[in-house]
Amino acid sequence: MRPEPGGASDALLDRARNGDARAFEQLALDIERPLYRHAARMLGHDDAEDVVQDALLSAWKSLASFEGTSFRAWVFRIVTNRALDRLRSRKRRPELPLDPPSENDDSVSWAEPVAPGPELADLAGDREALSVVEEALATIPADQRAALLLRDVEGFAYEEIAIITSTEIGTVKSRIHRGRLAVRNVLISRGWKGSSG
Amino acid sequence: MHPFGDLSAYLDNALSTEARASVQAHLDTCAICRTRLADLRATARLIAALPMPVPSRSLVPRVSVPVWLAPLRTFATFATGAALFLFLASAVISYFPRAASSTAAGAPAPNAVSAPQASGAGGAAEASPSSQGFAVSAPSAPPKVAASDRSLAAASATPSDAAKEVGRQDSAGPSANTADDRSRRLTPAAESAPFAFLLSPWLWLVLAIAFAALWFAIGRRLRST
Repeated sequence: MRPEPGGASDALLDRARNGDARAFEQLALDIERPLYRHAARMLGHDDAEDVVQDALLSAWKSLASFEGTSFRAWVFRIVTNRALDRLRSRKRRPELPLDPPSENDDSVSWAEPVAPGPELADLAGDREALSVVEEALATIPADQRAALLLRDVEGFAYEEIAIITSTEIGTVKSRIHRGRLAVRNVLISRGWKGSSG
Repeated sequence: MHPFGDLSAYLDNALSTEARASVQAHLDTCAICRTRLADLRATARLIAALPMPVPSRSLVPRVSVPVWLAPLRTFATFATGAALFLFLASAVISYFPRAASSTAAGAPAPNAVSAPQASGAGGAAEASPSSQGFAVSAPSAPPKVAASDRSLAAASATPSDAAKEVGRQDSAGPSANTADDRSRRLTPAAESAPFAFLLSPWLWLVLAIAFAALWFAIGRRLRST
Protein backbone atom coordinates (compact mmCIF):
# COMPACT_ATOMS: atom_id res chain seq x y z
CA MET A 1 0.00 0.00 0.00
CA ARG A 2 1.26 3.44 -0.85
CA PRO A 3 1.94 5.82 2.00
CA GLU A 4 -0.78 8.23 2.95
CA PRO A 5 -0.21 11.32 0.84
CA GLY A 6 -2.17 13.41 3.28
CA GLY A 7 -1.10 11.58 6.39
CA ALA A 8 -2.23 13.41 9.47
CA SER A 9 0.40 13.87 12.05
CA ASP A 10 -0.60 12.75 15.49
CA ALA A 11 0.25 16.13 16.93
CA LEU A 12 -2.00 17.98 14.49
CA LEU A 13 -4.79 15.50 15.06
CA ASP A 14 -4.53 15.84 18.83
CA ARG A 15 -4.58 19.60 18.58
CA ALA A 16 -7.57 19.50 16.25
CA ARG A 17 -9.41 17.17 18.61
CA ASN A 18 -8.82 19.68 21.38
CA GLY A 19 -10.49 22.38 19.34
CA ASP A 20 -7.51 23.87 17.52
CA ALA A 21 -9.17 25.11 14.35
CA ARG A 22 -5.90 25.92 12.62
CA ALA A 23 -4.65 22.38 13.15
CA PHE A 24 -7.86 21.07 11.61
CA GLU A 25 -7.52 23.39 8.65
CA GLN A 26 -4.01 22.11 8.07
CA LEU A 27 -5.23 18.52 8.21
CA ALA A 28 -8.05 19.31 5.80
CA LEU A 29 -5.73 21.16 3.46
CA ASP A 30 -3.52 18.09 3.17
CA ILE A 31 -6.37 15.89 1.92
CA GLU A 32 -8.49 18.47 0.13
CA ARG A 33 -7.30 17.50 -3.35
CA PRO A 34 -7.61 13.71 -2.90
CA LEU A 35 -11.07 14.17 -1.42
CA TYR A 36 -12.13 16.28 -4.36
CA ARG A 37 -10.61 13.81 -6.80
CA HIS A 38 -12.58 10.98 -5.20
CA ALA A 39 -15.83 12.93 -5.05
CA ALA A 40 -15.47 14.24 -8.59
CA ARG A 41 -15.08 10.73 -9.97
CA MET A 42 -18.00 9.52 -7.93
CA LEU A 43 -20.36 12.38 -8.67
CA GLY A 44 -18.94 14.58 -11.38
CA HIS A 45 -17.46 18.00 -10.87
CA ASP A 46 -20.71 19.83 -10.24
CA ASP A 47 -21.57 18.26 -6.91
CA ALA A 48 -18.10 17.24 -5.79
CA GLU A 49 -17.10 20.63 -4.38
CA ASP A 50 -20.22 20.95 -2.27
CA VAL A 51 -19.92 17.40 -0.99
CA VAL A 52 -16.28 17.82 0.03
CA GLN A 53 -16.86 21.16 1.71
CA ASP A 54 -19.88 19.87 3.60
CA ALA A 55 -18.00 16.75 4.61
CA LEU A 56 -15.05 18.73 5.95
CA LEU A 57 -17.35 21.01 7.92
CA SER A 58 -19.16 17.99 9.29
CA ALA A 59 -15.81 16.44 10.21
CA TRP A 60 -14.85 19.56 12.13
CA LYS A 61 -18.10 19.63 14.04
CA SER A 62 -17.90 15.95 14.99
CA LEU A 63 -14.15 15.74 15.44
CA ALA A 64 -14.47 15.42 19.19
CA SER A 65 -16.31 12.13 18.72
CA PHE A 66 -13.68 10.73 16.33
CA GLU A 67 -11.86 7.92 18.11
CA GLY A 68 -9.99 6.29 15.23
CA THR A 69 -6.40 6.77 14.24
CA SER A 70 -6.68 7.55 10.53
CA PHE A 71 -8.13 11.00 10.03
CA ARG A 72 -7.79 10.55 6.29
CA ALA A 73 -9.82 7.33 6.20
CA TRP A 74 -12.43 8.89 8.47
CA VAL A 75 -12.95 11.91 6.22
CA PHE A 76 -12.96 9.71 3.13
CA ARG A 77 -15.71 7.71 4.79
CA ILE A 78 -17.78 10.86 5.25
CA VAL A 79 -17.23 11.95 1.66
CA THR A 80 -17.96 8.50 0.25
CA ASN A 81 -21.16 8.15 2.23
CA ARG A 82 -22.33 11.58 1.18
CA ALA A 83 -21.50 10.87 -2.43
CA LEU A 84 -23.40 7.57 -2.36
CA ASP A 85 -26.34 9.26 -0.64
CA ARG A 86 -26.41 11.91 -3.31
CA LEU A 87 -26.26 9.30 -6.05
CA ARG A 88 -29.15 7.42 -4.45
CA SER A 89 -31.18 10.60 -4.37
CA ARG A 90 -30.65 11.19 -8.05
CA LYS A 91 -33.47 10.00 -10.20
CA ARG A 92 -31.81 10.52 -13.51
CA ARG A 93 -30.56 6.97 -13.85
CA PRO A 94 -32.86 4.82 -11.72
CA GLU A 95 -32.26 1.84 -13.95
CA LEU A 96 -28.66 1.62 -12.79
CA PRO A 97 -28.46 -0.04 -9.36
CA LEU A 98 -25.72 1.06 -7.01
CA ASP A 99 -24.58 -2.52 -6.68
CA PRO A 100 -26.18 -5.23 -8.81
CA PRO A 101 -27.11 -8.58 -7.28
CA SER A 102 -24.08 -10.52 -6.24
CA GLU A 103 -22.80 -13.28 -8.43
CA ASN A 104 -19.80 -15.52 -8.35
CA ASP A 105 -16.77 -13.42 -9.23
CA ASP A 106 -15.29 -16.40 -11.05
CA SER A 107 -18.22 -16.39 -13.43
CA VAL A 108 -17.93 -12.72 -14.42
CA SER A 109 -17.29 -12.67 -18.13
CA TRP A 110 -13.98 -11.61 -19.55
CA ALA A 111 -14.25 -9.82 -22.86
CA GLU A 112 -11.89 -11.09 -25.53
CA PRO A 113 -9.96 -8.80 -27.86
CA VAL A 114 -11.71 -8.52 -31.24
CA ALA A 115 -9.13 -6.50 -33.10
CA PRO A 116 -5.43 -5.96 -32.92
CA GLY A 117 -4.37 -2.95 -30.85
CA PRO A 118 -1.95 -1.79 -28.19
CA GLU A 119 -1.57 -3.81 -25.08
CA LEU A 120 -3.15 -2.51 -21.92
CA ALA A 121 0.23 -2.26 -20.30
CA ASP A 122 1.29 0.27 -22.95
CA LEU A 123 -1.63 2.60 -22.45
CA ALA A 124 -0.74 4.38 -19.24
CA GLY A 125 0.32 7.52 -21.07
CA ASP A 126 -2.36 7.35 -23.72
CA ARG A 127 -4.75 10.23 -23.21
CA GLU A 128 -7.44 8.53 -25.23
CA ALA A 129 -7.15 5.42 -23.11
CA LEU A 130 -7.45 7.47 -19.94
CA SER A 131 -10.55 9.06 -21.35
CA VAL A 132 -12.00 5.64 -22.00
CA VAL A 133 -11.14 4.60 -18.46
CA GLU A 134 -13.01 7.60 -17.10
CA GLU A 135 -16.02 6.72 -19.21
CA ALA A 136 -15.86 3.14 -18.04
CA LEU A 137 -15.67 4.20 -14.40
CA ALA A 138 -18.77 6.31 -14.88
CA THR A 139 -20.73 3.32 -16.12
CA ILE A 140 -20.00 0.84 -13.36
CA PRO A 141 -22.17 0.67 -10.22
CA ALA A 142 -21.35 3.35 -7.68
CA ASP A 143 -20.39 0.96 -4.90
CA GLN A 144 -17.92 -0.78 -7.19
CA ARG A 145 -16.60 2.57 -8.36
CA ALA A 146 -16.11 3.77 -4.80
CA ALA A 147 -14.21 0.65 -3.78
CA LEU A 148 -12.12 0.63 -6.94
CA LEU A 149 -11.16 4.31 -6.63
CA LEU A 150 -10.35 3.94 -2.95
CA ARG A 151 -8.03 1.07 -3.82
CA ASP A 152 -6.40 2.02 -7.13
CA VAL A 153 -6.30 5.81 -6.78
CA GLU A 154 -6.20 6.49 -3.07
CA GLY A 155 -4.28 3.36 -2.10
CA PHE A 156 -6.40 2.25 0.84
CA ALA A 157 -6.11 -1.34 2.05
CA TYR A 158 -9.08 -3.65 1.78
CA GLU A 159 -9.63 -3.44 5.53
CA GLU A 160 -9.75 0.35 5.40
CA ILE A 161 -12.12 0.29 2.43
CA ALA A 162 -14.39 -2.06 4.35
CA ILE A 163 -14.52 0.48 7.18
CA ILE A 164 -14.95 3.43 4.86
CA THR A 165 -17.82 1.81 2.98
CA SER A 166 -19.26 0.00 6.03
CA THR A 167 -19.11 -3.40 4.39
CA GLU A 168 -17.39 -6.75 4.82
CA ILE A 169 -13.96 -7.37 3.39
CA GLY A 170 -15.40 -10.10 1.14
CA THR A 171 -17.76 -7.55 -0.37
CA VAL A 172 -14.92 -5.12 -0.88
CA LYS A 173 -12.88 -7.79 -2.61
CA SER A 174 -15.77 -8.63 -4.91
CA ARG A 175 -16.52 -4.99 -5.76
CA ILE A 176 -12.94 -4.19 -6.58
CA HIS A 177 -12.53 -7.21 -8.78
CA ARG A 178 -15.76 -6.72 -10.66
CA GLY A 179 -15.21 -3.02 -11.10
CA ARG A 180 -11.68 -3.49 -12.34
CA LEU A 181 -12.80 -6.23 -14.70
CA ALA A 182 -15.61 -4.03 -16.05
CA VAL A 183 -13.14 -1.25 -16.86
CA ARG A 184 -10.85 -3.77 -18.50
CA ASN A 185 -13.71 -5.11 -20.61
CA VAL A 186 -14.63 -1.61 -21.78
CA LEU A 187 -11.04 -1.03 -22.88
CA ILE A 188 -11.03 -4.37 -24.70
CA SER A 189 -14.29 -3.49 -26.40
CA ARG A 190 -12.70 -0.26 -27.67
CA GLY A 191 -10.14 -2.17 -29.64
CA TRP A 192 -7.26 -2.71 -27.31
CA LYS A 193 -6.03 -6.20 -26.90
CA GLY A 194 -5.30 -7.64 -23.52
CA SER A 195 -1.92 -8.14 -22.06
CA SER A 196 0.12 -10.97 -23.42
CA GLY A 197 1.02 -11.81 -19.86
CA MET B 1 -10.54 -24.41 -12.13
CA HIS B 2 -9.23 -20.89 -12.69
CA PRO B 3 -9.20 -18.63 -9.61
CA PHE B 4 -10.33 -15.58 -11.59
CA GLY B 5 -12.22 -14.12 -8.65
CA ASP B 6 -9.07 -14.00 -6.53
CA LEU B 7 -6.80 -12.39 -9.08
CA SER B 8 -7.52 -8.80 -8.06
CA ALA B 9 -7.06 -9.63 -4.40
CA TYR B 10 -3.86 -11.46 -5.29
CA LEU B 11 -2.71 -8.40 -7.22
CA ASP B 12 -3.48 -6.20 -4.21
CA ASN B 13 -1.81 -8.58 -1.80
CA ALA B 14 -5.08 -8.93 0.06
CA LEU B 15 -5.30 -12.73 0.22
CA SER B 16 -4.52 -14.87 3.19
CA THR B 17 -1.21 -16.72 3.14
CA GLU B 18 -2.83 -20.01 2.14
CA ALA B 19 -5.02 -18.51 -0.57
CA ARG B 20 -2.11 -16.55 -1.96
CA ALA B 21 0.05 -19.66 -2.13
CA SER B 22 -2.73 -21.53 -3.90
CA VAL B 23 -3.20 -18.80 -6.51
CA GLN B 24 0.56 -18.54 -6.98
CA ALA B 25 0.79 -22.28 -7.62
CA HIS B 26 -1.98 -22.03 -10.21
CA LEU B 27 -0.38 -19.06 -11.94
CA ASP B 28 2.82 -21.01 -12.34
CA THR B 29 1.01 -23.47 -14.54
CA CYS B 30 -1.79 -21.41 -16.19
CA ALA B 31 -1.01 -18.97 -19.00
CA ILE B 32 -4.64 -17.80 -19.20
CA CYS B 33 -4.64 -16.67 -15.57
CA ARG B 34 -1.27 -14.96 -16.01
CA THR B 35 -2.78 -13.01 -18.94
CA ARG B 36 -5.84 -12.12 -16.89
CA LEU B 37 -3.65 -10.99 -14.03
CA ALA B 38 -1.60 -8.80 -16.36
CA ASP B 39 -4.80 -7.25 -17.72
CA LEU B 40 -5.99 -6.42 -14.23
CA ARG B 41 -2.61 -4.96 -13.29
CA ALA B 42 -2.57 -2.78 -16.39
CA THR B 43 -6.15 -1.66 -15.73
CA ALA B 44 -5.29 -0.73 -12.16
CA ARG B 45 -2.34 1.31 -13.40
CA LEU B 46 -4.53 3.12 -15.90
CA ILE B 47 -7.02 4.00 -13.19
CA ALA B 48 -4.21 5.22 -10.95
CA ALA B 49 -2.81 7.33 -13.82
CA LEU B 50 -6.00 9.31 -14.32
CA PRO B 51 -5.37 13.06 -14.25
CA MET B 52 -5.97 14.85 -10.99
CA PRO B 53 -9.02 17.11 -11.18
CA VAL B 54 -8.59 20.48 -9.50
CA PRO B 55 -11.40 22.21 -7.60
CA SER B 56 -12.29 25.69 -8.70
CA ARG B 57 -12.13 27.02 -5.17
CA SER B 58 -10.78 26.21 -1.76
CA LEU B 59 -12.87 23.51 -0.13
CA VAL B 60 -11.44 23.81 3.36
CA PRO B 61 -13.99 25.56 5.56
CA ARG B 62 -12.59 28.51 7.47
CA VAL B 63 -13.20 27.24 10.95
CA SER B 64 -10.48 29.24 12.63
CA VAL B 65 -10.93 32.89 13.50
CA PRO B 66 -8.15 35.46 13.83
CA VAL B 67 -7.28 36.24 17.42
CA TRP B 68 -8.11 39.90 16.91
CA LEU B 69 -11.66 39.25 15.77
CA ALA B 70 -13.25 38.88 19.20
CA PRO B 71 -11.69 42.09 20.58
CA LEU B 72 -12.73 43.86 17.41
CA ARG B 73 -16.32 42.81 17.99
CA THR B 74 -16.14 44.17 21.53
CA PHE B 75 -14.79 47.43 20.17
CA ALA B 76 -17.55 47.55 17.56
CA THR B 77 -20.14 47.00 20.27
CA PHE B 78 -18.93 49.92 22.38
CA ALA B 79 -18.30 52.09 19.36
CA THR B 80 -21.85 51.54 18.18
CA GLY B 81 -23.22 52.56 21.58
CA ALA B 82 -20.95 55.59 21.81
CA ALA B 83 -21.84 56.73 18.31
CA LEU B 84 -25.55 56.41 19.08
CA PHE B 85 -25.10 58.45 22.27
CA LEU B 86 -23.16 61.13 20.44
CA PHE B 87 -25.78 61.16 17.72
CA LEU B 88 -28.49 61.89 20.26
CA ALA B 89 -26.35 64.42 22.11
CA SER B 90 -25.37 66.30 18.97
CA ALA B 91 -28.99 66.27 17.81
CA VAL B 92 -30.07 67.86 21.09
CA ILE B 93 -27.26 70.42 20.95
CA SER B 94 -28.02 71.35 17.39
CA TYR B 95 -31.75 71.74 18.21
CA PHE B 96 -31.64 73.83 21.37
CA PRO B 97 -29.51 76.73 20.13
CA ARG B 98 -32.27 77.52 17.67
CA ALA B 99 -34.83 77.44 20.46
CA ALA B 100 -32.60 79.64 22.61
CA SER B 101 -32.08 82.12 19.82
CA SER B 102 -35.79 82.33 19.12
CA THR B 103 -36.39 82.94 22.82
CA ALA B 104 -33.59 85.46 22.98
CA ALA B 105 -35.14 87.51 20.19
CA GLY B 106 -38.05 88.41 22.49
CA ALA B 107 -36.68 88.19 25.99
CA PRO B 108 -34.15 91.02 26.07
CA ALA B 109 -36.54 93.47 24.45
CA PRO B 110 -38.31 94.57 27.64
CA ASN B 111 -34.95 95.31 29.19
CA ALA B 112 -33.95 97.37 26.23
CA VAL B 113 -37.19 99.30 26.28
CA SER B 114 -37.62 99.81 29.99
CA ALA B 115 -34.07 100.69 30.74
CA PRO B 116 -33.98 103.95 28.80
CA GLN B 117 -37.38 104.97 30.16
CA ALA B 118 -36.41 104.28 33.74
CA SER B 119 -33.02 105.77 33.86
CA GLY B 120 -32.78 108.12 30.87
CA ALA B 121 -29.50 108.56 29.22
CA GLY B 122 -27.78 106.74 32.02
CA GLY B 123 -30.25 103.87 31.61
CA ALA B 124 -29.22 103.51 28.04
CA ALA B 125 -25.71 103.23 29.24
CA GLU B 126 -26.89 100.58 31.69
CA ALA B 127 -28.80 98.75 28.98
CA SER B 128 -25.70 98.09 27.04
CA PRO B 129 -24.25 95.79 29.73
CA SER B 130 -27.39 93.67 29.60
CA SER B 131 -26.97 93.45 25.88
CA GLN B 132 -23.37 92.59 26.39
CA GLY B 133 -24.29 89.94 28.90
CA PHE B 134 -26.76 88.35 26.54
CA ALA B 135 -24.37 88.54 23.68
CA VAL B 136 -21.79 86.67 25.68
CA SER B 137 -24.23 84.05 26.92
CA ALA B 138 -25.71 83.41 23.47
CA PRO B 139 -23.02 83.97 20.90
CA SER B 140 -25.16 83.12 17.92
CA ALA B 141 -27.89 85.63 18.70
CA PRO B 142 -26.20 88.99 19.45
CA PRO B 143 -26.55 90.71 16.08
CA LYS B 144 -30.30 90.11 16.10
CA VAL B 145 -30.52 91.14 19.74
CA ALA B 146 -28.68 94.41 19.21
CA ALA B 147 -30.80 95.21 16.22
CA SER B 148 -34.04 94.41 18.02
CA ASP B 149 -32.92 96.48 20.98
CA ARG B 150 -32.60 99.51 18.83
CA SER B 151 -35.74 99.01 16.78
CA LEU B 152 -37.94 98.30 19.79
CA ALA B 153 -36.53 101.23 21.65
CA ALA B 154 -37.19 103.50 18.69
CA ALA B 155 -40.74 102.19 18.27
CA SER B 156 -41.64 102.66 21.94
CA ALA B 157 -40.30 106.19 22.16
CA THR B 158 -42.72 109.13 21.79
CA PRO B 159 -42.12 111.74 19.05
CA SER B 160 -41.08 114.28 21.65
CA ASP B 161 -38.49 111.95 22.82
CA ALA B 162 -37.13 111.48 19.32
CA ALA B 163 -34.40 114.01 19.80
CA LYS B 164 -33.56 112.52 23.15
CA GLU B 165 -33.64 109.12 21.59
CA VAL B 166 -31.20 110.28 18.95
CA GLY B 167 -29.06 111.57 21.74
CA ARG B 168 -29.42 108.28 23.54
CA GLN B 169 -28.55 106.46 20.38
CA ASP B 170 -25.53 108.67 20.11
CA SER B 171 -24.62 108.28 23.73
CA ALA B 172 -25.43 104.62 23.75
CA GLY B 173 -23.79 104.14 20.41
CA PRO B 174 -20.31 103.47 21.66
CA SER B 175 -21.61 100.99 24.22
CA ALA B 176 -23.84 99.20 21.70
CA ASN B 177 -21.05 99.19 19.22
CA THR B 178 -18.81 97.72 21.87
CA ALA B 179 -21.35 94.94 22.45
CA ASP B 180 -21.61 94.31 18.72
CA ASP B 181 -17.87 94.19 18.45
CA ARG B 182 -17.70 91.65 21.22
CA SER B 183 -20.45 89.67 19.58
CA ARG B 184 -18.63 89.74 16.31
CA ARG B 185 -15.50 88.62 18.05
CA LEU B 186 -17.32 85.68 19.63
CA THR B 187 -19.51 84.57 16.75
CA PRO B 188 -16.84 84.08 14.09
CA ALA B 189 -14.75 82.23 16.65
CA ALA B 190 -17.58 79.73 17.25
CA GLU B 191 -18.27 79.31 13.55
CA SER B 192 -14.68 78.75 12.62
CA ALA B 193 -13.97 76.17 15.36
CA PRO B 194 -11.88 73.43 13.75
CA PHE B 195 -13.97 70.63 15.25
CA ALA B 196 -17.39 72.13 14.65
CA PHE B 197 -18.23 69.23 12.32
CA LEU B 198 -18.23 66.95 15.38
CA LEU B 199 -21.54 68.55 16.36
CA SER B 200 -23.21 67.19 13.23
CA PRO B 201 -25.73 64.46 14.20
CA TRP B 202 -25.46 62.94 10.74
CA LEU B 203 -21.80 62.21 11.27
CA TRP B 204 -22.56 60.18 14.38
CA LEU B 205 -25.54 58.49 12.81
CA VAL B 206 -23.43 57.30 9.89
CA LEU B 207 -20.72 56.13 12.26
CA ALA B 208 -23.26 54.30 14.41
CA ILE B 209 -24.62 52.47 11.36
CA ALA B 210 -21.11 51.60 10.19
CA PHE B 211 -20.06 50.24 13.57
CA ALA B 212 -23.32 48.29 13.87
CA ALA B 213 -22.72 46.72 10.45
CA LEU B 214 -19.19 45.80 11.50
CA TRP B 215 -20.50 44.29 14.73
CA PHE B 216 -23.09 42.27 12.81
CA ALA B 217 -20.57 40.97 10.25
CA ILE B 218 -18.09 39.89 12.91
CA GLY B 219 -20.87 38.22 14.86
CA ARG B 220 -21.87 36.17 11.83
CA ARG B 221 -18.27 35.20 11.22
CA LEU B 222 -17.84 34.06 14.80
CA ARG B 223 -21.12 32.14 14.78
CA SER B 224 -20.16 30.27 11.59
CA THR B 225 -17.24 28.57 13.30
